[in-house]
Amino acid sequence: MSKRIWQHPEIPADETTVSWRSVGQLEGSPAFREYMDREFPASAAAMADEADAETSRRSFLKLMGASSALAGLSMVACRRAEKYTVPYTQAPEWVIPGKALYYASAMPRATGAAPVVVTTFEGRPTKLGPNTLHPDSDGTDAFVQASVLDMYSPSRSQKILHHAKVATRADLEKALAEAAASGKIGFLFGADESPTRTRLSKELTAKFSGAKFYSYEPLAPAASAARAVADFSEADRIISFDCDFASLDPQGPVTPFFDRRKPEGKGYKAKRDVKTMNRLYAVESIFSLTGGMADHRLRIEPSKVLGIAAAIAKKLSVSHPLVATAAALDEKTQKWVDAAAEDLLASKGKALALAGSRTAPALKAIVQAINEALGAQGTTLKVLASDNAGFGDIAGLKKDIESGAVEYVFLLTPANPVFDAPADLAFVTTLQKAKASFHLGLRTDATAHAATWHIPAAHYLESWSDARSASGFHTLIQPMILPLYDDCVSELELLSALLEGKLVTGEESAAFAAVRKTFASDAASWKKALREGFTTGTSAAAPMPSIEAPAPSYQAVSEQSLDVIFSTDGSIFDGRWIDNAWLQESPDPISKLTWDNAALIAPKTAKALGIYDQVTELESPRAASPVDGEAGNRRAPIIKISLGGKDIEIPVLIAFGLAENTIVLPVGYGQGYDAEDELSRGPLNATHVGLVGVNRGVNVYPLRDSATTYMAQGAKVSLTDKRYSVALTQEHHAMYGRALAREISTLDGEKGSFEKQYDAVAKQGNDSHAPKNMSLYKQEGSKTWDADKDGNAKPHLSDDLHQWAMNIDLSSCMGCNACLVACQAENNIPVVGKEQVAKGRAMHWIRMDRYFAQNKDNTFDADSPAMVPQPVACVQCESAPCETVCPVNATVHTEDGLNAMAYNRCIGTRYCANNCPYKARRFNYFDYNKRNPLIAHNLYKGPAGVTQVGEAPHLQRNPNVTVRMRGVMEKCTYCVQRLKDAKIRQKRGQKQDVLASGKTSPEVAVTAQTLRIPVDSVKVACQEACPADAISFGNLLDEQAATVVRGRELARSYELLHYIGTIPRTLYMARVKNPNEKMPDAAFVGTATIHMA
Amino acid sequence: MANIFPRWTNLLPLKIAFCAGTAAVGVVAAFTVYATPKATVVGYQPSQPIPFSHKIHVDQLGLDCRYCHSFVDNSDHSNLPSANTCWNCHQHVQRQSPKLEPLHRAMDKTHPLYDGKPIQWVKVHKAPDYVKFSHSAHVNRGVSCVSCHGQVDQMEVVYHAKAHSMGFCLDCHRNPADNVRPLEEVFNLKYDPAEYLKQHVVLNDKGERISDPKEFGKKLSDVFKLQPRESCATCHH
Repeated sequence: MSKRIWQHPEIPADETTVSWRSVGQLEGSPAFREYMDREFPASAAAMADEADAETSRRSFLKLMGASSALAGLSMVACRRAEKYTVPYTQAPEWVIPGKALYYASAMPRATGAAPVVVTTFEGRPTKLGPNTLHPDSDGTDAFVQASVLDMYSPSRSQKILHHAKVATRADLEKALAEAAASGKIGFLFGADESPTRTRLSKELTAKFSGAKFYSYEPLAPAASAARAVADFSEADRIISFDCDFASLDPQGPVTPFFDRRKPEGKGYKAKRDVKTMNRLYAVESIFSLTGGMADHRLRIEPSKVLGIAAAIAKKLSVSHPLVATAAALDEKTQKWVDAAAEDLLASKGKALALAGSRTAPALKAIVQAINEALGAQGTTLKVLASDNAGFGDIAGLKKDIESGAVEYVFLLTPANPVFDAPADLAFVTTLQKAKASFHLGLRTDATAHAATWHIPAAHYLESWSDARSASGFHTLIQPMILPLYDDCVSELELLSALLEGKLVTGEESAAFAAVRKTFASDAASWKKALREGFTTGTSAAAPMPSIEAPAPSYQAVSEQSLDVIFSTDGSIFDGRWIDNAWLQESPDPISKLTWDNAALIAPKTAKALGIYDQVTELESPRAASPVDGEAGNRRAPIIKISLGGKDIEIPVLIAFGLAENTIVLPVGYGQGYDAEDELSRGPLNATHVGLVGVNRGVNVYPLRDSATTYMAQGAKVSLTDKRYSVALTQEHHAMYGRALAREISTLDGEKGSFEKQYDAVAKQGNDSHAPKNMSLYKQEGSKTWDADKDGNAKPHLSDDLHQWAMNIDLSSCMGCNACLVACQAENNIPVVGKEQVAKGRAMHWIRMDRYFAQNKDNTFDADSPAMVPQPVACVQCESAPCETVCPVNATVHTEDGLNAMAYNRCIGTRYCANNCPYKARRFNYFDYNKRNPLIAHNLYKGPAGVTQVGEAPHLQRNPNVTVRMRGVMEKCTYCVQRLKDAKIRQKRGQKQDVLASGKTSPEVAVTAQTLRIPVDSVKVACQEACPADAISFGNLLDEQAATVVRGRELARSYELLHYIGTIPRTLYMARVKNPNEKMPDAAFVGTATIHMA
Repeated sequence: MANIFPRWTNLLPLKIAFCAGTAAVGVVAAFTVYATPKATVVGYQPSQPIPFSHKIHVDQLGLDCRYCHSFVDNSDHSNLPSANTCWNCHQHVQRQSPKLEPLHRAMDKTHPLYDGKPIQWVKVHKAPDYVKFSHSAHVNRGVSCVSCHGQVDQMEVVYHAKAHSMGFCLDCHRNPADNVRPLEEVFNLKYDPAEYLKQHVVLNDKGERISDPKEFGKKLSDVFKLQPRESCATCHH
């Protein structure tokens, strides 16, 4: 460690909040210190040993000599090669070369289609943003953002397969005719709703009396006649039971929930008012992002959640047979339950209870009874008729295939039933009993291999369709491009083929006619609907379906008999995104694990099981596992989990805030292994996945039965002597500093009243006594001194039109990965692969820091820390430390306040990263764009490695952003390409002004108003994607009209590391927690201000 | 007296001369390649699939630049005309000219060699991938085609008239007054400021009539509020 380290001020001894990033930090591991001290982990730049360093240096010089000699010889050949410009033959309407074209569309999902606006360049869809015209628009999450990459996936299915061998379309059409002739056809749809599909299924029933319909997705509830949608805008008090409604288990558009997490309301337009804030109670076992947002969180084993819900129902005097299951609670918990129930009842008609969509029917029944008692229906909860009413489930399909009622099966679900259906169904053997099965899918997954026929599916960006959004709006899906591969077929085209006896795809797609027919209205309203993406008609209201649920019997839990949760994975959901590199590389929002899954276990339970010490020691000796001559491999121990007579071996990590005696197993991984697998599990199903998804994690689906789709009991754990490398990013780019993320409470606490805490946000931590930052160049009384009306120095602005700034509101940021993936899509950020991530070389410009914080005095639950997310990208310091150290002026300030990067100028000294206190800079250690980092050892082969130039994913690139090469530093520049685009567009206004005036241009003076872009009209990629509206961005010179200015003038805005004096343009806004003073844990809520030292 | 210089120094002058010579050759070679006009491809004049003459179309027939480069004031790119633009006229005019064969192949369904494939024009002006140049930002603010592309209206065959080096860009960004002209004259390749000032009365701040083109340029950059940027992110991002 030769680096000179800035001595951050120490944390005072009386600080009551303990905060940490990782178990390693909590345990004081020296490895963590190294991460803190360096901008990149040591291994990121290290040689294996001294001898290696010496030989490398010498061979480097030799090679350099040789290559410059060769360069000299070949210099004359450095002339430009002949290149061509190829304009269209017939120019298509609307397409302007070089300009983006936007279309409204939607991504179909089980929880309601996500309305999107698709950016296309010359017909290539490159980026998705939310369709803000749509009433159900709530940003776009990481899955929506990453879905565009799936279309260009190199491992995407391209050919029709018959018994996993390439077949022709004529063969397929013959097989379809056979199925039609039989008439006994079963259709397995996804859990999404589509009006056109519903209409076609009715026609299919009319044509084939034996047609049967089912819907299945592993993590979606079975189809029912009605579904409830939460309206968070009306909900003052919310209680959630194992329900991650903010992120992975949506129950309705979520933006209104986050709007009410801000005391000043949406857009910071109102005066701060605690009464406008909602209050969230979370009863959960897993630490979910929703739990992280909660004002009061009760962690409890999954089998005991029902008991808590029943206890709350009892307090609310609900009459329901299940109230009898109310658990006998200890005094603390009883107090928690009573106070929460009282608070909910006090907001009757404005309160809402939610149960996770995969939880036991008994829990859902009691939550429904609670909602009745709270008067939720019709106000905070709306019930809509479902298009999928009457569809069977996968168990029903199995029964019908085995009884012969269904002879031909069409597997149209986006799920992968052979892989992810409950293990007791043994769906693969059932499938073989059908006369023929047809699988429509984007990937050649396990189901594609098991089915008789596999048909490559057209991506939703390539097909006509329609869908229902969360509140049931009829939302249109239109193609941006013809399917990339000729054999691709969409779901509606396949259904139409069975109806009409002919498969019509491509430009004349039968799906278009089908969607248009469903729409039924005249041409003008069709055009309007296509432009806006939806029509105003919604699903009909329906009565709340009654839930029949007997009281379940749960066994007692202990470390000898653990509860298991099969959790939705934050990166690959149910396994369908396993081949999506962006999602695989985005760190899990809570565990911060990339590229794999791991069992999660709470620290106390781990200690009881005797595995805690093993888990905290992730670091293995360097020399033990050098990959390609480089160290940096952290390895987690592998445990064996036995459940119901089946065993799996899986790496394990410590998870804070998780319920005791509970193991969390994220689903979806382990779909295929090849010979390169670290644990030699392969070759096994290697063809089921592409390069991205191969050798990733462990498949936990075999442990999961029909009765235990969410939770199982009675698991036993034993430690094995194996270890597995885990690419964990929780310690990477760790920042020093005091009061990094700040939190206040609406209750009077030791720091004073809410108003006092609010006004003192900028004085938290060291900022309370740090001297004022003063400019060396603008001393009072000097020549450059120029005072404004308050006597402060006026800023020197070299651009009086635009000065960009951003606010990040921690009060509504939950820490999902939407911004991170949106940034990756917008800015051509490469994927680096698991080994490189493990070395701290992930390229994400936005680092989603996730801190845990615990109040030392917490007597309620000392093992239930608060979780505080903090997205950190370059904060665009006005006085940027990186700029002063760049020897080639590759990073300089622009007139409008950006800290710009000239990639073509950068020579890669990395001085800037070394000097960045926010660790916001990323370095291209290899040519990640050109060389495929997913092929084992490929990066280390230099020019001999396999390149990925010209592969399909390159079509996704944003043409307005440079693709960086090896040796170049990169970082966030506030989407400078979008800002420039907006400014250039605005310049055309001059011509309009001149024309309108009727004079010549020299006579018409241009005003600032003409040249300044309209207030809040430009959005950066992260801001646009954010479902929580946590990011505001705009022009400081728009003053009060701009959201960003209104936000930063509030007293809860603060500069990150203010005392260093970098004057960042990105401000953070303190998180406000709204606890209930009657709750036993109220005093410990809202104190999670993060210190890292 | 002992030798002052040891024996090994005998060859030293030769070694120095050799090294200095090599270095000099290197510098000359590098200069030739990277710093002479050839490096900036000035004068590059490839032959095109159709020998299109700007002189005939623009100078003699008076077509506006934007008839063919239709999105130059709208997009970053100045598009080449799609084949249907050429065909608008050439299905009637000079239809039999053998020079138009590639166009017939692309557009004329009656032609024996018709394949509907687009014409591949050879690129003359090319900005590197790491440079973002926007045509619309310039032509909408009073910078004419001529300023960068030369007298295209006089070219029989288009050639690279000016060095598009970074210095060339910066010269104008630092001093836009020399190249700015009234918005109405941007696509008039024959514009002459002295002539313009004779025909139009343009007054300076003192209320006097401007007759000096330089003063006119300054006046225009004031009226237009031109502030061309010099920071890297203006063109590199």
